[in-house]
Amino acid sequence: MSLTEELTTSPVESLNVSCENEEVQVTETPEKIQLRSWLNKNLRIEMSDGRILVGAFLCTDRDSNIILSSCAEFLNSTSEEARILGLVMIPGRHIVSIHVDNSYETM
Amino acid sequence: MSSSDHHIKVDDDGDISDDEKKKLLEDGVFTTTATPKLTYNWVDITKEFTTLAKTLNLGELLLDEHFGLYEAMSAVEMMDPKMDAGMMCNRSDKPTLTFARAVESGILKFEGLDLSEQIGVIDHVLSCLVSWIEGNSLAQTVFANLYLHKPFYIEERPLKAFCITAYKMVEIVKHFIDQATVFEEEDYQPMQYGYRLIPDVSEQRTIGMLREVEEDLSRRLRQRPALPNAESIGALLSRVKFVRLLYSVLGVLGRQDSEPEVRKELRPDSELHKALNNCSEQLTIMRNTISLGIPPDSPKLGFEPLANQRLLPPTFPRYAKIKSREEAFVYYDDLIQRLKVVCKIYSHASFHTALDFFMEFSRQKPCLLSRSILQVLYIPQPSSLLTNTRVVEILREAAKSFICPPALSSKTLLASNPQAKEFVDMFLLHCGRPFVQLIQLCGHNRARQRERLAHLLEDFSNLQDEAEKVDAYLHNLTSKSEGKRSHLACFGTWILYHTLRIMIMYLLSGFELQLYSIHEYHYIYWYLYEFLYGWLVSSLSRADSLLMEQESYLEKENSRGKGKKNKVRRKKGCRPYAKDITLSQVYQNLCGGYYKATLAFQRTGKISFPKSEFDCEKVRYEHRFLPFSNLHTPPPMQYSEFSDMTKSMETQICVADREAPDHSRLFMAACKNFHQARTLLEIMPSPDQEVNTLLLVAKTNFVVLKLLAGGHKQDSNTPPIFDFSHHCHFPIIKLT
Repeated sequence: MSLTEELTTSPVESLNVSCENEEVQVTETPEKIQLRSWLNKNLRIEMSDGRILVGAFLCTDRDSNIILSSCAEFLNSTSEEARILGLVMIPGRHIVSIHVDNSYETM
Repeated sequence: MSSSDHHIKVDDDGDISDDEKKKLLEDGVFTTTATPKLTYNWVDITKEFTTLAKTLNLGELLLDEHFGLYEAMSAVEMMDPKMDAGMMCNRSDKPTLTFARAVESGILKFEGLDLSEQIGVIDHVLSCLVSWIEGNSLAQTVFANLYLHKPFYIEERPLKAFCITAYKMVEIVKHFIDQATVFEEEDYQPMQYGYRLIPDVSEQRTIGMLREVEEDLSRRLRQRPALPNAESIGALLSRVKFVRLLYSVLGVLGRQDSEPEVRKELRPDSELHKALNNCSEQLTIMRNTISLGIPPDSPKLGFEPLANQRLLPPTFPRYAKIKSREEAFVYYDDLIQRLKVVCKIYSHASFHTALDFFMEFSRQKPCLLSRSILQVLYIPQPSSLLTNTRVVEILREAAKSFICPPALSSKTLLASNPQAKEFVDMFLLHCGRPFVQLIQLCGHNRARQRERLAHLLEDFSNLQDEAEKVDAYLHNLTSKSEGKRSHLACFGTWILYHTLRIMIMYLLSGFELQLYSIHEYHYIYWYLYEFLYGWLVSSLSRADSLLMEQESYLEKENSRGKGKKNKVRRKKGCRPYAKDITLSQVYQNLCGGYYKATLAFQRTGKISFPKSEFDCEKVRYEHRFLPFSNLHTPPPMQYSEFSDMTKSMETQICVADREAPDHSRLFMAACKNFHQARTLLEIMPSPDQEVNTLLLVAKTNFVVLKLLAGGHKQDSNTPPIFDFSHHCHFPIIKLT
């Protein structure tokens, strides 16, 4: 969490990413910084079949394929019964909507 | 919108009540996640997210620093029908029904169920039972039926008796399967989710209850004038009868008071077999009267798929697929046939025939229940196995009948030498575990057998060492004292014979499980052809000659003594392993044929290889024969040996007088091998199913290869088809 907080608070334009034991200087684009700011936050993703998944955002790629951890599945938006799925990958093409939980920021 | 002031009411199950949950949900509080007091403030970022994500490069991942691709592998892919269990379910928004609620609303009844309802419920529970035995959870099959939640509340006697018996059936089936432990997670779910299997109702009482119901129903059936619903009464009667018979059959099989050889009830003229036949008769009636029950989608069946949802682990599939009634009855029919086969174990007193029986039974891919019953019948007390003197005695007999080591025939001096006796006893004791494992392995499903075979090879490798040491010691002893019969490699040959069989099973199972690509066939068959079957033949021949030697020695002894006749005398000149040796030679020739044929296909470009930059034949070869690499006897064959031998074989066959190699000769050589196999098969006395199938394979391949050798379809590059439909290890080669 500290990393993301640091990223959102300070406008760092570059950070060190270790890649195969090799320190590489990577210049982050503002888009990436914005995406990175959502990492480890709870996302609420609605899928094309109406199910809702809630879990912590871990990873994405160009096609918006998203990996969530500690994910809970709800059968529909009014459903109350969650099923804990754990780590899931949601293909981008099945994503209808994405919500982020910003309750920490408003508090 | 803080939830801190919420006091969450918890009902007596320890769960939050439904109303409370709904309220919390409306407040945006999710109660079912780990911490119930979480508040979320959702902000839509759909557009923003996808636009931003598009700026990433192809293949670039934006990820948390603590998260790597390795972890990503274990992610469940949503909307993938194979991984996403929640995707396929047909969701209903109806609240989960309980028995009490169902009775209140008049869907289910304690009494006054009509015949069609009872028939329907019974059929459905029987289908659930099959679905459970075939790998689903009890909570989603049998115990998902609400009638089974309160069997003692039911007033309708046939249904009540049936529901109680259903519990007893679950109990006894579970007992067999748990005891045999030849299942893996893909076969069977052992959890019973806290349901009590009514142990306080005895077997006799259950059967008595069913009998009473039967009598009552047959009385109603006999009424004159016949009742208008006589057909339905008959249908119900047949079901009650079937359940009683099946339950009592399982009860009899489960009694483990003695070894299978002495159990009279397993013999074909016993009560048990009568009951099994009667079961089949009832099943015929049941299959014809399925339509008399209420249909499988009727709510009156009391089947509530979600009844036990809360008892299941979270990532469990939401619904189990319940077998249709027709399928379930077919299963019971087959089960009864299999049970009849299983009973035949009584006639296999010797270890070797029993092992063959287990292997043959496994080849038919029987269900878990019948596999387990066979295990339990043969190995009654798994706990005391390792020290079990019975196993040692069985193995002593097995070694004796296989090769008759002088140490085990009581007339020699060895038997009176305490040191030698100790070594032999110790060796046999060490044999116990691996050999029992070999039997147990045959009870597992076919795919799991392969990995177990690989592990077992390690144990047999150790046994081989010990066997050779014991042999050497005994040989030393005999050559000093008697000099009549040497003890060279007796136990060693016996263990080698089994090691070879395990190796062969291991390699062949790859064909059955479709693990090998066509371009790998040649070295698999090469290994079998050049080594394994060859060694098998020589170990059998050695056992053969030692047995004959012993026989003539005994004859001499006998004629010198009182002239007492031996009980069973083999005909003179009839080699005891003649049939096994011939069959091994057949297999060897078939493998040789495939080896040469696949090689010729490769050389003529009919079998394509993976692109060389992605492929290394040596690596694949080493991977395929990896379990053999730790063996000392027989020695593992390296890749270099394969390529050298193949090269020299090719040169020998194809290259004549420094001309360009002619691959049609290779086809001809393969053709000769199939011809040889065929000739051997044709002289085999009393051919069984296996021999006939092999004959068909050998004949067909002979013809195909003869055509190929003659240049048929020479220019075509279409790959040949290897058709495993007749024999799962030895395919018929087809050209298209």
